[in-house]
Amino acid sequence: MKEFQETLYDAISQDFRIDKMYFEQKTEHQHLMIFHNAMLGRVMTLDGVVQTTEVDEFIYHEMMAHVPIFAHGQAKRVLIIGGGDGGMLREVLRHKAVEHVTMVEIDSAVIDMAKEYLPNHSAGAFEDERAHIVIADGMDYVRETDDRFDVIISDSTDPIGPGEVLFSDDFYAQCKRILNEGGVMATQNGVAFFQIDEVKTTSERMGQHFSDQTFYSAAVPTYYGGVMTFAWGSDNTALRTVPLDELQRRFESAAFKTRYYSPQVHIASFALPQYIVDALG
Amino acid sequence: MKQRHIQYGASETQQAFYQSLVRRHGSPLLVVSKAKLLEQFQLLKKHLTGVSLYYAIKAFPHPEIMRILAEAGCHFDVASEGEIDLLKPLQVSGRRTIHTHPVKKDGDIKAALRGGSTTFVVDNIDELKKLIAYRSRIGVLLRVSFRSNTAAVDLSRKFGCAPEQVKELVLQAKALGVHIRGLSFHVGSQVADPDAHVAAISECQRLIEEVNRCLDNPMNVLDIGGGFPVDYEMTGFDIDAFFAPISEALAGLPGDIDVIAEPGRFLVAPAVTGICTVSGKARRGDYQWYYLDDGIYGSYSGQLFDHVLYPLQILNGGQQRFPSILAGPTCDSIDIIAEDVLLPELQEGDLLIGHMMGAYTHATATRFNSLSGAKVVIID
Repeated sequence: MKEFQETLYDAISQDFRIDKMYFEQKTEHQHLMIFHNAMLGRVMTLDGVVQTTEVDEFIYHEMMAHVPIFAHGQAKRVLIIGGGDGGMLREVLRHKAVEHVTMVEIDSAVIDMAKEYLPNHSAGAFEDERAHIVIADGMDYVRETDDRFDVIISDSTDPIGPGEVLFSDDFYAQCKRILNEGGVMATQNGVAFFQIDEVKTTSERMGQHFSDQTFYSAAVPTYYGGVMTFAWGSDNTALRTVPLDELQRRFESAAFKTRYYSPQVHIASFALPQYIVDALG
Repeated sequence: MKQRHIQYGASETQQAFYQSLVRRHGSPLLVVSKAKLLEQFQLLKKHLTGVSLYYAIKAFPHPEIMRILAEAGCHFDVASEGEIDLLKPLQVSGRRTIHTHPVKKDGDIKAALRGGSTTFVVDNIDELKKLIAYRSRIGVLLRVSFRSNTAAVDLSRKFGCAPEQVKELVLQAKALGVHIRGLSFHVGSQVADPDAHVAAISECQRLIEEVNRCLDNPMNVLDIGGGFPVDYEMTGFDIDAFFAPISEALAGLPGDIDVIAEPGRFLVAPAVTGICTVSGKARRGDYQWYYLDDGIYGSYSGQLFDHVLYPLQILNGGQQRFPSILAGPTCDSIDIIAEDVLLPELQEGDLLIGHMMGAYTHATATRFNSLSGAKVVIID
């Protein structure tokens, strides 16, 4: 196969040339590929759908990690569900004030494979002493754990597939249970332009459990369709009204460089295009 | 009453060929000729120019057959999660598949999407509603019922809406936000003449034109299904005469209609030969009984489910023939391959050859009596 053609949608698709195949696994359960593309760097696809690429993963990971953590301002304990490629862990750990990160990944093979074939995603994050990797079903973990967290990030796959349960009402309920007071959860919620139904569904389900439920967004070039939404759920309405100068102070004090995130982008990302506002009613 | 074709005798080369296969692989066997399979594929492509062919995996769901067809550029008709799973280890993009089962559980739809299959088939409003949750990523073919009077296997009773219902269903789909890409039909398996195909193509063309006037997203796919026959009676089949009217009907379609087809039998039946062995014999009343190691619970299941009498070949060309019965290996009396045929006297160890045994043979074989069934062997 010299070309990867995404099979997410019936009438449209994006095509990436495969310049070199690093890893391919074809079983009756899934088809996973990690390959090189001249414009995108290393690309990982699962069952015909792009999961992550080296060239633009920073956008997704920075926005999912830094928006909730900087909004919170005092996050010490962070939970990541999924994120086996290590990119989310890498971004979360850049916050020196974060003392403990638990990452729950269902398949240890994903982590092993990512360490070997997508080394720039984790960039050593798995070896950080603040990182605690748990191999388990994310739904089981949030249901059973006694641990509590300030920020929960759900970095899952598509709702059609193994990640389905991470979009359920029960998942949102259990995350609320294990959030510390004033905490916030953020979840991957798809490309709204072509998947507006998923925005409505999450809004209904998550909205039952959090008094402040909305979405923020970022444009990720390789998630075809324009703007990707992230669901935001918190009972602390103050988190979304942190003024710009305070966010700037927190960002400067954190003292790391970013390539997409900035305090201005943070605030702007909550401004949703009218079609999403209309869909949310 | 259908007559089964029996060929008596075989050349030295043929005999040596079959016997060496049995020596090497055991018995019973289903021997798949890669060359013949590819020949059938090229033949069909030639007769249906410009038509994308989707192999009906159900006819013979074997990974090697599927791999050979995939490499030749054939696409795939999947109708179950099992068939999707069979495809996964091959390098076939979901783009080269359509999910053709008109009735699906939610799990079936999800499994198809995970496999990258994004085109589905429905024939009624309830089925359409199941797809609402997935409407942003799928395309749908509406199956219409057209019946061939000559089909050996009639599918129009079980599936397909009436042509009169098409417009309403398409408009209902539009209101639900589900995109109908086109129409599909299946006139039945093993048809004797192309009349039903031609009539269906013509009616679908008319329907597409009419309904497109009410749509923002025009329908532009016509799936003409399968049903292309194979020559089980070995009487010589004029393939040009069969396909010419169909080609002509297709040539009359507007250029922006994409035509696809779902051949199964036509591709795989002629490519497979069954070989089984006489395990025992007995004289019972007026008949000489021969007990074979394959039967209607196995490869010959097609005689029951598919209403086919496979052409047989006896290697023994003896002129003196006696009323005989060929029975299968299970304990059931229904397990008879051939009732009341004239055969020379056979010995234990003699081979029975079944021709055109690729479609709905292995596919419908059972595990009755815990018999492992014919081994599938791929040869060049």
